Amino acid sequence: MNHPPSMSGETLEIRRLRKTYGTDVVANDDISLDVRPGEVFGLLGPNGAGKTTLVNQCIGLLKPTAGTIQMGEVDLVARPAAARQLCSYLPQAPLPIDSFSVEQAVRLVGQIRGGGADAVRRRADELIETLELTEWRSKLGRKLSGGVLRLVGFLTAAVWPGRILILDEPTNDVDPLRRRLLWHEIRRIADNGTSVMLVTHNVLEAERVVDRLAVIDGAKIVAEGTPAALKTRFQGQLRLKVQLEPAAERPDAPGFARQFAVVGRRLLVAIDEAATLEAIEWARALVRHGIAEEYELAPPTLEDTYVSLIRNGSGKNAGGDDELLDDA
Amino acid sequence: MSYSTTHDAVPTLPAASLSPQLRSGPSHWLRSYWLMVRWEFMSLRLIFPIMVLVQIFMGAGLVIGFSLLFEEVPPLQAVYLSTGSTVVSMLVVGLAMAPQLVAQHKMAKTYDFMWSLPVPRLAQAMANITVWIMVTIPGVILALLVANWRFDLDLQVSLMVVPAFLLTILVATSVGLAFAHALPNPMVTAMITQVLIFVILLFSPINFPPERLPEWLQVIHRFLPFQHAANVIRGSLTEGLAQNVGESFLVLAAWGVAGWGVTAWVLVRRG
Repeated sequence: MNHPPSMSGETLEIRRLRKTYGTDVVANDDISLDVRPGEVFGLLGPNGAGKTTLVNQCIGLLKPTAGTIQMGEVDLVARPAAARQLCSYLPQAPLPIDSFSVEQAVRLVGQIRGGGADAVRRRADELIETLELTEWRSKLGRKLSGGVLRLVGFLTAAVWPGRILILDEPTNDVDPLRRRLLWHEIRRIADNGTSVMLVTHNVLEAERVVDRLAVIDGAKIVAEGTPAALKTRFQGQLRLKVQLEPAAERPDAPGFARQFAVVGRRLLVAIDEAATLEAIEWARALVRHGIAEEYELAPPTLEDTYVSLIRNGSGKNAGGDDELLDDA
Repeated sequence: MSYSTTHDAVPTLPAASLSPQLRSGPSHWLRSYWLMVRWEFMSLRLIFPIMVLVQIFMGAGLVIGFSLLFEEVPPLQAVYLSTGSTVVSMLVVGLAMAPQLVAQHKMAKTYDFMWSLPVPRLAQAMANITVWIMVTIPGVILALLVANWRFDLDLQVSLMVVPAFLLTILVATSVGLAFAHALPNPMVTAMITQVLIFVILLFSPINFPPERLPEWLQVIHRFLPFQHAANVIRGSLTEGLAQNVGESFLVLAAWGVAGWGVTAWVLVRRG
């Protein structure tokens, strides 16, 4: 947000992209977006929304049914080999590096991505140090834990990232401290002029890291902008979260609730700021009567926007998406 | 809030990684090929010795095992078995091991990563085949040595052995890779490889002359690569036993072009 995109480099321009499988499955529908140099761009959406299909078209693995993907002069649809050179991709699946040591894997992929042996070795050493992976540098891939393997995957993409670094859920299984180091490094890579496309459904993390984001649902972009801009729809609102007692009966929606959702033993209530006192009274009464264990009042997050977008968009998650709201 | 860069004690990313120069041409192809050979070899590093051992055992095992079918192996049969076993082990590597590894990548979902690497795809496929040739050669040589010792053969190795071996492995791997890459379901690939091993071992005129097969199967084998692979290998290791070696080379070359063509088409095409 507070990083103006650098003026050098070129923007990845996706225009009116459409991808269908067979005659009736639409995976991407009229998607247009820009990822600028020096920017961390978030691509958010539930499972099956079409994120991976979009990425696979950018890196030349899939051919769009219609639309264009352009970076400066280069047409990434017509030239998949060029697309693979411009994009450095970290997939969600683990890398096949069972028999590589960490440094071997990072160095070799760095060279494959176009770096010279010496420059890649220096950069690999720097990254291994930055992400505090020194104790694993000679270990074989098959001996690494899921989180370390994930970080090594990131290293293989980041060691020579090219123009666009595409990261699919880079922090999965990674411990909180190294997550911070990872985000820091991602920011540094963006500051250096590389465009970063971050594919995730971890909205809370994305909110802190991305400059701009697009939310995809049901094959379409349902919102796009900075995290702050996307949250303005909830300006003047607060979120009341109530944890119910295990055996308690579920209370009815109070009159002041603008939105009311129950997920498992958790109540999520959207309220206007003006109703704050009333809401606290209501929640305290629930605790007093042994219906609720605890409550919490907080400003809306990007996640609130996200959840409301996804529900309004396709309606297919209207039954409540536990995974999304569990962290709420 | 975002994580802004406040410390820059470490050197920043080299600007060269942002190079807008797209790489192309023969030097890019060769560099990519060499790097991918290293990648493939490193990937197989831990099982490479086992694969070579399996190859040796299979080659030697075929020679010794098949010879148990006879009380006393007639000299002609001995030559057929010894030369045929090397062909069988080459075909098994190309038509079973190579496609199974592709299927494994698809099952482990590492396939997309491998093919999103910024190298020419044909260089990548060639690197793959190169490593399979490296897996095959030691076993083939050792199988021949074992056969020589077991049957006291008098093999006449000619220079033709180099193109004969390379073409046979190339045909086997390119056909194997063609269906492994083309078939979306890796389980189907695994099943096809099983069937192929069965057909190669029992119903292909590799370890015996084609005349022993029913006529209709002889006709089919005239167009399949198995018998011709056996013929060129036999032609390069013996004298006077193989006939129409030139024709066999042509049939094999046609299969090589077809297998490689399909592999190339499948790899370059996008869904």
